[in-house]
Amino acid sequence: MSANEHILTRVPDTLPASQRARRPLSPTQWSLISIGSITLLWWAITASSLVPALFLPPPGDVLAKFGTLVSSGYMDATLQQHLWASLQRIVLALLAAVAVGIPLGIAIGTYPRVRHLLDPLIEFYRPLPPLAYLPLIVIWFGIGELSKVLLIFLAILAPVLIATAHGVGSVSLVRQQAALSLGASRGQLLRYVILPGALPDILTGIRIGLGAGWSTLVAAELIAATRGLGFMIQSAAQFLVTDVVVLGIIVIALVAFALELGLRRLQRRLTPWHGQTH
Amino acid sequence: MSLLQAHNLGVTYPGQASPALQHVSLQLGEGDLVVALGPSGCGKSTLLGVLAGFIAPSEGSVSFDGQPVVAPGVERAVVFQHDALLPWLNVADNVAFGLKLQGVDKARRQQVVADTLQLVGLADVGRKYTWQLSGGMRQRVGIARAIASQSKILLMDEPFGALDAFTREQMQQLLLSVWQHAGRGIFLITHDIEEALFLATELVLMSPGPGRIVQRLRPGFSQRYRDGEDVRAIKSDPAFIALREQLLRSLFAQRQAEAA
Repeated sequence: MSANEHILTRVPDTLPASQRARRPLSPTQWSLISIGSITLLWWAITASSLVPALFLPPPGDVLAKFGTLVSSGYMDATLQQHLWASLQRIVLALLAAVAVGIPLGIAIGTYPRVRHLLDPLIEFYRPLPPLAYLPLIVIWFGIGELSKVLLIFLAILAPVLIATAHGVGSVSLVRQQAALSLGASRGQLLRYVILPGALPDILTGIRIGLGAGWSTLVAAELIAATRGLGFMIQSAAQFLVTDVVVLGIIVIALVAFALELGLRRLQRRLTPWHGQTH
Repeated sequence: MSLLQAHNLGVTYPGQASPALQHVSLQLGEGDLVVALGPSGCGKSTLLGVLAGFIAPSEGSVSFDGQPVVAPGVERAVVFQHDALLPWLNVADNVAFGLKLQGVDKARRQQVVADTLQLVGLADVGRKYTWQLSGGMRQRVGIARAIASQSKILLMDEPFGALDAFTREQMQQLLLSVWQHAGRGIFLITHDIEEALFLATELVLMSPGPGRIVQRLRPGFSQRYRDGEDVRAIKSDPAFIALREQLLRSLFAQRQAEAA
């Protein structure tokens, strides 16, 4: 019996050549691989003339269109002006949704009666496609900015409300009791314990809400708009200007992604404890 | 003189036949360290909840300094097993939390925090966040927070239950030195017999179904520790071991009587 028999595994002195050279890819590198592959595929399909440019314009054309749109614009407005119009609507709707959603969410999370009262209303409108109640909004509120912002607001409100209520409801009872035994009043409990405790959930709700807001943008800009990325895409679609459609989609995606990254960073800064094991 | 008095407490939770707590009376004075010992379900957590003012008793009453206890109050700070600190505040701000709630000014808060952190041996971690600390250090912060507040007594809910045996013994000694310095009455619940025997000036043994006190004793080992005797010497003292075995037997006897 050899002395080494009970050693089950040994670490090899040198790694095999195949493992030595490879360095793990960073998350960003993985993401770049997928973006690069899609672009390459897109380019290959258009370059081989398999699909007419009317259906899928080549990447080069879309890029060139970007230059044209920035300098001379489309439908009486430059790309920046379209973007600005849409961003204003989204941000206005987001601010309103936060201003309404967080206090209401706190009330729902704190008082069961408020929850029972509002739950059916929220669950009634939440699954409805915005296009379904768009006509009603136009009939009630006209074709001005209010209706556009209202539609986006409703899309953002539901996730913010639900996440806030959930966050408030799941703040550790022990933490609240400890604060009460240190002399906290109800107001202090809310301010110093419940709100910070619910903050990670609230921020997640805002992130999800913002995504929902962007996906409602095109519907909102169906309402007699003369500017906005959604409006730009729709008009271009009517005249089969496919490169503008594709460009509009990419710009929306990029801006939405940039906002999402900003919010993620904010979440990490504001709630560094979130996800830490206790 | 006793500060906290519980008289003939009874608690029956809605929908439960057997009371969680029945005929429980106890008193806690300034220098007392009363430990409630018992298995799960003996009502010790319910008792602590009633003393803290979290749970309204179905029978009997609690008074503090002659005033009836009906809600949580700043004179009765509670230390929990875990999860009671605020992760968005650093250690110093957690310890200052009670004073801040009371509107104590910043200079005074900083002074108290520095003194208290010194007392629990955490003088140099004030700027760290609680989630960056070990379990034992977090419990020290919890104790420091309760002492720094304007509490007159501490109610401790299995404060060392989640710690490893080594850290737990260190924390028991820390608690005794803090108790000596801060001069507060302490009510502590635990299911650890050694811990109860070592710490208690008065030990109440509790039993489930219905939750009640079945035995009271005054072990006096914490006084010997205060007088300078070594902790291992105390815990290996034949008198200590004999009491430990007696309590253990009594707990098993209760359980068998119940099963029969």
